[in-house]
Amino acid sequence: MKAAPCSGEVILVIEFRHVSKTYKDTKALDDVSFTVEPGSVTGFLGPNGAGKSTAMRILVGLSRATTGTATVFGRPYMSLDCPGAHVGTLLDATAQHSGRSGREVLTLGAMTLGLPRSRVDEVQEMVGLTRKESARTVGRYSLGMKQRLGIGHALLGSPRVLVLDEPVNGLDPQGIRWMRELLRGLADAGCSVLLSSHLLHEVEQIADHVVMIGQGRILAQGSVTGFERGLEQAFFELTAATDRGAA
Amino acid sequence: MSVMEEKDVMSGGSSIPFGRLLAVEARKLLDTRGSKIMILILVVLVIAAIVGRGFFSGPEFHRLVGTAGIGYGTLLPALGILTVTSEWSQRTALTTFTLEPRRWRVLAAKCVPPLVVAVVASGFAVLVAASATAVVAGVQGVGADWEVEPSALLGWAGGNVLLMGVGLALGMLFLNAPAAIVVFLSAPMLANIVHGLGSAGKELVEWIDLNTAAGVLASGELSGGDAARLAVTAVLWIAVPMAIGVARVVRREVS
Repeated sequence: MKAAPCSGEVILVIEFRHVSKTYKDTKALDDVSFTVEPGSVTGFLGPNGAGKSTAMRILVGLSRATTGTATVFGRPYMSLDCPGAHVGTLLDATAQHSGRSGREVLTLGAMTLGLPRSRVDEVQEMVGLTRKESARTVGRYSLGMKQRLGIGHALLGSPRVLVLDEPVNGLDPQGIRWMRELLRGLADAGCSVLLSSHLLHEVEQIADHVVMIGQGRILAQGSVTGFERGLEQAFFELTAATDRGAA
Repeated sequence: MSVMEEKDVMSGGSSIPFGRLLAVEARKLLDTRGSKIMILILVVLVIAAIVGRGFFSGPEFHRLVGTAGIGYGTLLPALGILTVTSEWSQRTALTTFTLEPRRWRVLAAKCVPPLVVAVVASGFAVLVAASATAVVAGVQGVGADWEVEPSALLGWAGGNVLLMGVGLALGMLFLNAPAAIVVFLSAPMLANIVHGLGSAGKELVEWIDLNTAAGVLASGELSGGDAARLAVTAVLWIAVPMAIGVARVVRREVS
């Protein structure tokens, strides 16, 4: 199996349509609509607690929208055959069994997707985990290593879509640069990426489109370079109204 | 490629075969440090208990097999509980249910390997007990007692499988190992209290107590009334908690 996973032209990759999510008395998502275009890296930007993770969990069926729909290739994630082969997901790099080795985590993923063991070696190499590191239990990994492992797990099935929640969290500057080049390469090969972050500069460096969210509402979306007074200024102006400190 | 063609590619009927989920869940039973240690403890404990008892109370095969049951009675259900709850305590449910969103299939696959373990563990105990019986008889120079009904051995193994089922069911119901283990361990105490409430209490315990059910199975003689009481106990301790647990897992928000 080749490392370049993404091919084919798709019209709708990810689409959120009027998605709202209410927990008891709080509204985590309020009428969220946006799309991810094929071959683009879309940054999902917002302060902590803005609803980024909730939206991503709804997309991959771990949580249910109160109203509205989220689809991948025009279909609910749950209805995809072997969704892991089409959509690579990393929602929380720390959510791994601490007593399991990194290689074992990848092996279980490869088994589930029906991939040969050689694919485990391939992704290990892609994400820069050495044999020695991958033999260690995840409990002894740094956050940066867990992120690499999680990215590797997401890449196992050579997916055409990647959904990554805060993937640069815990990465050192070299790691962030590596991530940028990896995602750029995948996007150039036709893969579509949705990645969330609360770190403006990382998103600015990695993404070509930005969707800004604050307190569950979409505040703005567009090309990274399309914000008149820069992404940072726009971000602070837009989130000021929903800022906890200002409230 | 149009959107329509894209859809066709994605619904080519290539959903994850159940056998694959089964292989993955079987592997998960043994691939962590904790689970390896637990299996090792189980093996060492069974050998030590059987051999020790053999030397103290003589080479009686049936009694030595039963000795293993003392450890199995709590450790096998604990293994069943942990098999289910570790997905939540370690938060691996996040990746597990992202790869297979039809969560009930994962749960079904999760139940099979521990039940096989219960059968294998029973066979292992029989082998150890047979060896210990022969060795003790030889060392002590006394005749070995091999007297046992095959149906009693089968029933005893069935009891181990039953208890493993209870562990799995409680694990699914609570999704939390301490809660499930506390409930499992305090059940016999509750049964004792009910048993002390006069003749009606005694009658009730026969219908709801796990140890009673396991004892009946291990006796190897199952009357019609026994079978009915056993069925009620199994429904109460396995079918009901498992049904509630599966419903809960399928609806639950995973984060």
